[in-house]
Amino acid sequence: MKAFHEPIEDREIHGTPSNSRSSNFKLRYLDSPLMVDIEYIKHLTESHRVTDGMEVLERRAADHAYALSRMTAVIHDHDTLAGNKTRFIRGAIPYANYAAEPFLREMRKEEQDAQSKHMEQGKGGGIRRAQLEAEQKGLRLISGKFLISAGEYEEFKEICEYWEDKCFMEQGNLLWKNHFRNASFIEDGWKIGLYTAPHEPCPEGRLILDFEMVLAKGLNQIIRETEDKIRSCQPAGIGDGVKLNFWKAAITVLKGAIVFVENYAAEAEQMAESEGDPVRKAELLRMAGICKRVPMERPGDFREAVQSFWFTYVLGHIEGSHLGYSPGRLDQVLYPYYINDPGHSRAEAISLFEELFVKMTQIEYIASMSWQGLGHGNLYQNLILGGVDEKGERADNEISMAILQAQINMQMTQPTLSVWWDEQLDGEFLLKASECVKTGVGYPAFFNQSTYVQHELKTSGLPLEMIRRNSAIGGCTEPTLQGMSYGIVQAGFVNQGKIIDLLLNEGVDPVTGIRMAKARKPASFEEVRSYYLEIMQAAVRNWQQYWNYVMIAHRNTVPLVFCSVFVNNCLERGKCMDDGGAILNQSITTLSSGMVNVANSLAVIRKLCFEDKVCSIGELFHAVRENWQEHEGLRNKALAVPHWGNDDDYVDDIFLDLFDEYCDWVSGQKNYLGKPYDPSMLAISTPVPFGKVCEAFPDGRLKGEPLADGVTSPFPGTDVCGPTAVIRSSMKVDHTRIRGGLLNLKFHPSALKGESGSKNMLALIKTYFEKPGFHVQFNVVDSRMLTDAQEHPENYRDLVVRVAGFSAYWVEMSKPLQDQVIWRTEHSL
Amino acid sequence: MNGTILNIQHYAVHDGPGIRTLVFLKGCPLSCAWCCNPESQSASTQLRYISFRCKACLECIDHCPTASVSPGNGEVHRKFDECNVCHAKYCIDTCTHDAVSLSGREISSAELVKIIAQDIPFYRNSGGGVTFSGGEPLMQAAFLLEVLRECKKLEIHTAVETCGWADRKALQNILPFTDLFLYDLKIIDPEQHLYYTGQPVDLVIENLTFLSCENADIIIRFPLIPGITDTFQNIKSIGAIMDNLKLNRICLEPYHSLGREKYDEHGMEFTLDAVQQYDHSQITAFRDFFSGRGFLCEIA
Repeated sequence: MKAFHEPIEDREIHGTPSNSRSSNFKLRYLDSPLMVDIEYIKHLTESHRVTDGMEVLERRAADHAYALSRMTAVIHDHDTLAGNKTRFIRGAIPYANYAAEPFLREMRKEEQDAQSKHMEQGKGGGIRRAQLEAEQKGLRLISGKFLISAGEYEEFKEICEYWEDKCFMEQGNLLWKNHFRNASFIEDGWKIGLYTAPHEPCPEGRLILDFEMVLAKGLNQIIRETEDKIRSCQPAGIGDGVKLNFWKAAITVLKGAIVFVENYAAEAEQMAESEGDPVRKAELLRMAGICKRVPMERPGDFREAVQSFWFTYVLGHIEGSHLGYSPGRLDQVLYPYYINDPGHSRAEAISLFEELFVKMTQIEYIASMSWQGLGHGNLYQNLILGGVDEKGERADNEISMAILQAQINMQMTQPTLSVWWDEQLDGEFLLKASECVKTGVGYPAFFNQSTYVQHELKTSGLPLEMIRRNSAIGGCTEPTLQGMSYGIVQAGFVNQGKIIDLLLNEGVDPVTGIRMAKARKPASFEEVRSYYLEIMQAAVRNWQQYWNYVMIAHRNTVPLVFCSVFVNNCLERGKCMDDGGAILNQSITTLSSGMVNVANSLAVIRKLCFEDKVCSIGELFHAVRENWQEHEGLRNKALAVPHWGNDDDYVDDIFLDLFDEYCDWVSGQKNYLGKPYDPSMLAISTPVPFGKVCEAFPDGRLKGEPLADGVTSPFPGTDVCGPTAVIRSSMKVDHTRIRGGLLNLKFHPSALKGESGSKNMLALIKTYFEKPGFHVQFNVVDSRMLTDAQEHPENYRDLVVRVAGFSAYWVEMSKPLQDQVIWRTEHSL
Repeated sequence: MNGTILNIQHYAVHDGPGIRTLVFLKGCPLSCAWCCNPESQSASTQLRYISFRCKACLECIDHCPTASVSPGNGEVHRKFDECNVCHAKYCIDTCTHDAVSLSGREISSAELVKIIAQDIPFYRNSGGGVTFSGGEPLMQAAFLLEVLRECKKLEIHTAVETCGWADRKALQNILPFTDLFLYDLKIIDPEQHLYYTGQPVDLVIENLTFLSCENADIIIRFPLIPGITDTFQNIKSIGAIMDNLKLNRICLEPYHSLGREKYDEHGMEFTLDAVQQYDHSQITAFRDFFSGRGFLCEIA
């Protein structure tokens, strides 16, 4: 929904960095071009060339440790936290060991994967800067937006050629393309846009390490404990051999990590020596001292705890091609170190978080063009605050408040900030969270912890205390248990919209002519429904099976060793995550996007063709295939049939039925770790590319328009009863059945104005979560969005222009009047 | 019982406390020159013609039973009085460009209460409820009373926004079922009031006095109209009345021209000439005046 209210106001809260250093960090970030840094992959490749013949886990560890210990320790001006993923302010590591093919195709000027032409990347900011600099300085561009020097470009090309047949993606291809009997369904699925592009270039993430453990023990103790395990192991079978491999590998990566940290200590000392400014010199010496202690030992104070977390976080980040790798419940992890630090101050904590958030935003990722576009360059590093502790008591604390304040001050795009909602949370904390929403950054998103706890109790059967304590969000909206679950949770998305296309065209994709399902001509609503289910089930089952093949190749090429050390109980069990070492292996999801359009379309078919008998099913399908052209009258009738998001049981019941069918079907297949797949639905930016490849739908949607967003967000413009009706529809869904899922609401700033505006927003959340819903996120409308509303009024049919006691809809205003509303938004009137 | 409403807005947050449902009832005894909902003045449904949507396809002309539509330059000309005879029954169905619609619809009290009740959980968590606005809700006194009574049975917080120009008996009847009055005070000078609103002011002040004596919960709503209601004399008089009646909450509603187009769309005449809109500092100055005299003053 998009309610917005007059008189028009600009955003109520404007944050500013708490000090000039933070302010400089932000400006420096905004001024920096996007760079690709081949240093890590170069060293990794060097090592890989000579480690042939080693056991897989040990080889992976040896290569990673070799590269870690050779990475340049770069400390930028004014930095007080050490440790970077690349040498640049905004840098990305190109993981050719995961997927060399997308890079090679680009360098050989071959066509990218079928999906990339439907993706659009941003063009402004650092992307534009990179393009300009490339032209001016004779640099090369990779992936449309990353700069690289001409020399390194050639070097990187060689690296990619080395990995071409050895990388994870190619090894996976060899497996599933040769052995999976429905391989052609997957390849055709990509061609017609039934699936998102191959996920191999960035398969990992949705993962949170056990930072509590790192802080409590330190790397040195973990190494000692692992050495003890090796000493006390009496092999009694081949499984014990694999344990030994993993433990040895773990020690190797941990030692490599320590060298990485020591390089920073040395660099800080060296910089201090030549530093003229005594203040900066003291800072650098302090940094060097800290880098000699953490994360090898327990942190002595709050700053050391933050540094220890950050090093571990970055080291884990370097190991894999991560998307959705997250810090988790950082307020819980850091609080004891803050409160027990006699010298702690709130101002210093805020300043440290401001620096930390810039550092997190500085991490870029380069993958295939398709996935860059799908993620909008966003790494979805989810930091979640509040919630309850293991006893079920409220867990928000001073650090939660400091983190919110730092993000209000900085408004960086990372981390993706979230709040675990619980009824007991402190009112001050919730008001602070709504203050952050009002800055217009789009977060924190609110998640209902008890809904997830119920889901996990049902699917994993783990103890309640353990679930409460560790529940977090890994990635955009996927709940997981921090420090105890595997991070490769999905293969990508199934396009529900494409299934409508196939349903309407007797199983053939109307764009390419490729047949995907048996030809059927449904003659009743029941037959339409079962034809949809038949195609959906094939699409889901094949996708799941394909991914299980791919994951075998993952285990054999790029198993995560460093990250496994910090996921319980890999070390105890002597198994890496790829071998099922994590406590939670039920977190592997199957995702789909666009089910709201299916429900709306089925409602229209049922009502127009079988109940009101306005037209035959053939006539309706014909009109839809013609993109409704010359069938405006029928389209209006279709749009008048109840659509999802208006609390109308006619269509809501259809959605609930499809939802249940999907959930049942998804969990009927085992994942590559031998547990049932977990149903989930989210969106990131799939509604746009998925919509682009789809023809018109019976629900009145036109060819090429985006699909409905998220799980329960209505199709734009079809929710005509306001935000409370959207929530009432969404409340009918059993959110405990799925892992994740989202609802986005748009508000004009004046709807949230003042303390009463915040309280109303919190009341809305409470009402939804009592039911219980799972997630809600508020976007604060700005003048740019209103301009879009002018260009696409059809998506803003429910946009209400409200003054106290005034009644009008946006779409009923003439352009000059809309201009006036936009002008007033810009001028804070 | 049936009533005529203009619109129902959910998640209204400016017309009383908390999250509210705002029901606009049709019909008003006043016809204020600055009215931003002119289509709410007539008690019956009205044709609305949004000319910028009209593609001048002239389909509606063919279907018009009263010949009240004629071709114009890129649009059509309408004789609104004649149009409303058939309630635009034919041209609404004919128009595929959404240029013609009907303002107002009939609804039964039961259906309206059902819609209001849908948001009870939101009211409960936010301290919100339902607000009846308009138009003047008391123009449909029996309907209003029935809906209010049903709402109170469901323990919904109720607010009525009134211009005060209403039958005393009707006001008395709704009093037990109304938790809050949003009471408009516009112009205190009798001549000016008559001139700009079309009705004398005495009844407005008498009714306010009555409500105040009955200890009703009241928030004064004061439309700020440049050069008309915002004179020093008028503001002072409003303050004096509030002092007299021991009312301490006032909400300022600064003039905006967002309702201007709706006059043309309903074939109505907009008689207010060239009214400036306020800027931020002017509005704040008015608020400071009231706050300075001890009133709790908000800007709507």
